[in-house]
Amino acid sequence: MSALLASEFRRFRLRRLVRVLVALEVLAIVATGVIVFLTQEYALVGLPDVLMGTSLVLVSVGWVLGASAIGADWHAGHVTTILTWEPRRGRVLFAKIAAALTGVFVLSLVIQALLGIALAVAAAGAGSTTGTDSAWLAESAGVALRVAALSSIFAGFGFGLASAGRNTAVALGAGFGYLVIVENLVRGLRPQWTPWLLQDNAGLFVVGSPIEFPLLGRSTIEAGLYLTAVAVALLLAATGLFRARDVH
Amino acid sequence: MGAPVRSTRAPTYRVHGMDTVIEIEGLRKEYRRIRGSRTVAVDGLDLAVPRGGVFGFLGPNGAGKTTTIRCLLGLVRPTGGRCRLLGVEPAGLHRVIGRVGSIVESPVMYPRFSARRNLELLGRISGIGRMRVREVLDEVGLAERADDQVKTYSLGMKQRLGIAGALLKDPEVLILDEPANGLDPAGIVEVRVLMRRLGNEGRTVFVSSHILNEVQQTADRVAILAKGRLVATGPVREVLTAGHATGLLVRLDDVPEGLRILGEAGIDARAGDGFIRVGLPPADAARVTRALAERGLYLTELRADEADLETVFLELTGGASTEGAR
Repeated sequence: MSALLASEFRRFRLRRLVRVLVALEVLAIVATGVIVFLTQEYALVGLPDVLMGTSLVLVSVGWVLGASAIGADWHAGHVTTILTWEPRRGRVLFAKIAAALTGVFVLSLVIQALLGIALAVAAAGAGSTTGTDSAWLAESAGVALRVAALSSIFAGFGFGLASAGRNTAVALGAGFGYLVIVENLVRGLRPQWTPWLLQDNAGLFVVGSPIEFPLLGRSTIEAGLYLTAVAVALLLAATGLFRARDVH
Repeated sequence: MGAPVRSTRAPTYRVHGMDTVIEIEGLRKEYRRIRGSRTVAVDGLDLAVPRGGVFGFLGPNGAGKTTTIRCLLGLVRPTGGRCRLLGVEPAGLHRVIGRVGSIVESPVMYPRFSARRNLELLGRISGIGRMRVREVLDEVGLAERADDQVKTYSLGMKQRLGIAGALLKDPEVLILDEPANGLDPAGIVEVRVLMRRLGNEGRTVFVSSHILNEVQQTADRVAILAKGRLVATGPVREVLTAGHATGLLVRLDDVPEGLRILGEAGIDARAGDGFIRVGLPPADAARVTRALAERGLYLTELRADEADLETVFLELTGGASTEGAR
């Protein structure tokens, strides 16, 4: 099992899509640092808000990476090749899930850390670092961890849908359709169902302030647990399908 | 495994007391289509593949060869029957998969990774090191292009890479589904030599193919499949001679005179198109040459009258492919 995991982690790290997305994010961070430095107004104490602002990008990237981690294999037919080396399908899928979700989590943390460093350098050189005490550090770290966890959870959604649909595009299309169309319709037509919407729970989980999400009626941790439960259910369903269906 | 499996639906040739590595009994696989219709890809297949040597698995397109291989490797669940690879059914395949190398249809590797990286990733699953990767790349003639992206490879090179992947585990059983696909003539010969060498080393090479000439030159035994059913299996020579009277073909300038002389000598002879077909086994060829030479008639060609695998294949399968089945 550890050999399979090692192989999948290595493959995740070597994937072109991962490298391209990381390169784009690093480029964006450098540009942000330069812009902030030139404006000479940035106060580092606002870093937690900046990190919250990155969550949409990182969660979207997580979804894409999670979906393509298995969708690309299905599309290319590589699943057959892997199964001729490890026929226990549960293990194969578990290794892929672990690699994708862990990879996305680490990636999100690293990107946020780099952004924090870039902004810290800019603020130290031409802005303000006032108020960056230990409480600020704890808050920033908390936000970064929650954003990374949320990216990982959404990678799980993408992975589950792509595995069931055997295609990356299925996961991206279904995700877009559900989050943008279905959830907005539900929010408008059935507001009492809001506690079960992914976007609202994700918002609460990142912001960490239940007061700002009164319709949900739950804590930050409960929102995180709900999202995790949905992801786990989706991944279990995908695993069941993977074990039951023929592989061509 | 004691007695070999034998089909009750088709002529088979017993695998006398041999140790088998693949056993298939009554294997059936149906595919259901969306509108409820069913396609039977494999229809009660019985097959036993003995240990060691090259076993050719033949059939026209859609005969069920790939589906059978997929069932053996646990990729497809049979609708009925059972199959065992190295004594285990697909559910326990993980216990023996390290001893089995395979290619199923076109081998798929990551196109943006190099051949070396692809094989290293696969090898890592079974704890196979870089040295072995280098060996197999060398063995299939890809050492010089080993660090190029697979997407830049020709079809033949991808096929070689697939074979390298199958060899990586140093397997005792190789299951190769149309391994010569996309290879140029030189590549086909190389694969043939490689399969023969692996067979001679005591490994079992189970190779599906529709290139009958290749199989005839390489395989020790064959099985012929048509419409999901076994129509013949056994040593190549036995399959070739099945249903065909052994005889001799004699070519000479004066066919009518030759027929008369052979008739007078009490030898069963019939005229063919420019030759005489003689009803004697090849071991009795001297009787023919003597009878003709004593009467001053000299032949220009004498050879055994036996069908090639293609003829047998077309006769047994009805000569038609079954496209549409899988």
